[in-house]
Amino acid sequence: MSSDLTPKIKFRLNGIDMEKEVPAGWTLLRYLREELGLTGTKCGCEIGECGACTVLMNGKPVNSCLVMAPQIENASIWTIEGVTPPGGTALHPVQKAFIECDAVHCGFCTPGMVMTTIGLLLQNKKPDNSQIKQALAGNLCRCTGYIQIFEAVRLAAAMISENDMRPFRENISEN
Amino acid sequence: MNAVETLNPTNLAQALKAKANKNVVAVAGGTDLLVRLHDRITQPWPKLLILENVKELHKITVTKTAITIGPSMTFSEIENSAILRKKALQLVTAAASAGSVQIRNRATIGGNIANGSPAGDTIPPLYVLEAILELSSAKGKRTVPIEKFFTGPGKTVLKPTELITAIKIPNRSNHGFFMRLATRKALAISKVSVAVNIIMNKSKVESAKIALGAVAPTVIRATLTEEYLRGKEINQAIIDEAARIVQDEARPIDDIRSLAIYRKEMVGVLLKRGLESVTTNG
Repeated sequence: MSSDLTPKIKFRLNGIDMEKEVPAGWTLLRYLREELGLTGTKCGCEIGECGACTVLMNGKPVNSCLVMAPQIENASIWTIEGVTPPGGTALHPVQKAFIECDAVHCGFCTPGMVMTTIGLLLQNKKPDNSQIKQALAGNLCRCTGYIQIFEAVRLAAAMISENDMRPFRENISEN
Repeated sequence: MNAVETLNPTNLAQALKAKANKNVVAVAGGTDLLVRLHDRITQPWPKLLILENVKELHKITVTKTAITIGPSMTFSEIENSAILRKKALQLVTAAASAGSVQIRNRATIGGNIANGSPAGDTIPPLYVLEAILELSSAKGKRTVPIEKFFTGPGKTVLKPTELITAIKIPNRSNHGFFMRLATRKALAISKVSVAVNIIMNKSKVESAKIALGAVAPTVIRATLTEEYLRGKEINQAIIDEAARIVQDEARPIDDIRSLAIYRKEMVGVLLKRGLESVTTNG
């Protein structure tokens, strides 16, 4: 049991094992952006309404603004930076689908949209339209892009292979 | 928002020991608590007790007579639980309709109860399922029926040194529904919610339990409507009258989310829709 102001904890970030002192009073969002420099995860409303800060925690989309940094102990976290396959310059199929469908306008909501989409496709390989809408209900886009975004999710579902999803599957608990 | 101390126990005994210090605030999913703390960024934060790694609180156990839900079970896990889908559909429907995917992946049933909001979506189902809460401290434990747990908006009988350690419901089949009304389907707090658990004897109502959310200082039972329905053969006239009676049992207020007059009307509408669906589905 740790009770330090900056407890040292173990977690996995984008597939890499970490052991770090994390600021106890910080949210995961702030920790990712201000300590680790991972600014792809966006800071929108900070109260769980907009989904711009969505990351995967043990394979499930969560609002990183509502997770305390010390709560990620032993968890596997994936951010948008980890989505692109390592080494290469290629994009992940979900990212390609968003570009293909013109589902990106200002781009602020896009990292969260992509992470939520990956979370959906991990659980449901062929979501129907209503499942897609429900899955993305927690991600707001203020540029009016929902139609293209739903199209992108459908295209992503058609394009992805198990290989594209495997990295995100680790540490997923059974319900 | 700096200089916060967190405690991160790995078992229940450690957690209860830490909670013996009554200035410690327990955080489960954090989806209510962090929103509240965010709004008081300039004030000192309490010492936070993280329950993430206390595995004893994060499971469902089933016996012949009872289903025991660990307070750290998330809304998503409740939504996907095979046993709860079979035996507590009201609770599953409520868990599935709250927040967003991101919120449901973090929000816990214990947190929803402890938060004490009259609009907490899992609470009306737990009323009609006759849930019993187990409250534990380092010194021992006690049980409290869920209806005796809440004393006002955000107020409960949970002592500062206690944690909710189990939520027990009877292991039996039941019939009923949960319905809610909010500004949008996702990510909106309920303006009105209705949970019903109904036992039919052939075409007659043997008993009905009705709980109303967000229309009184706590979730309440609609006992006059329950009494009215007992022994009745359900038909449209009976449903309409029940919907009229239940409106008078609601004691709503005007607030940021809705108006009292609208809430009263909608309690009746939700009950009516639900009873119609129960009776047409057999």
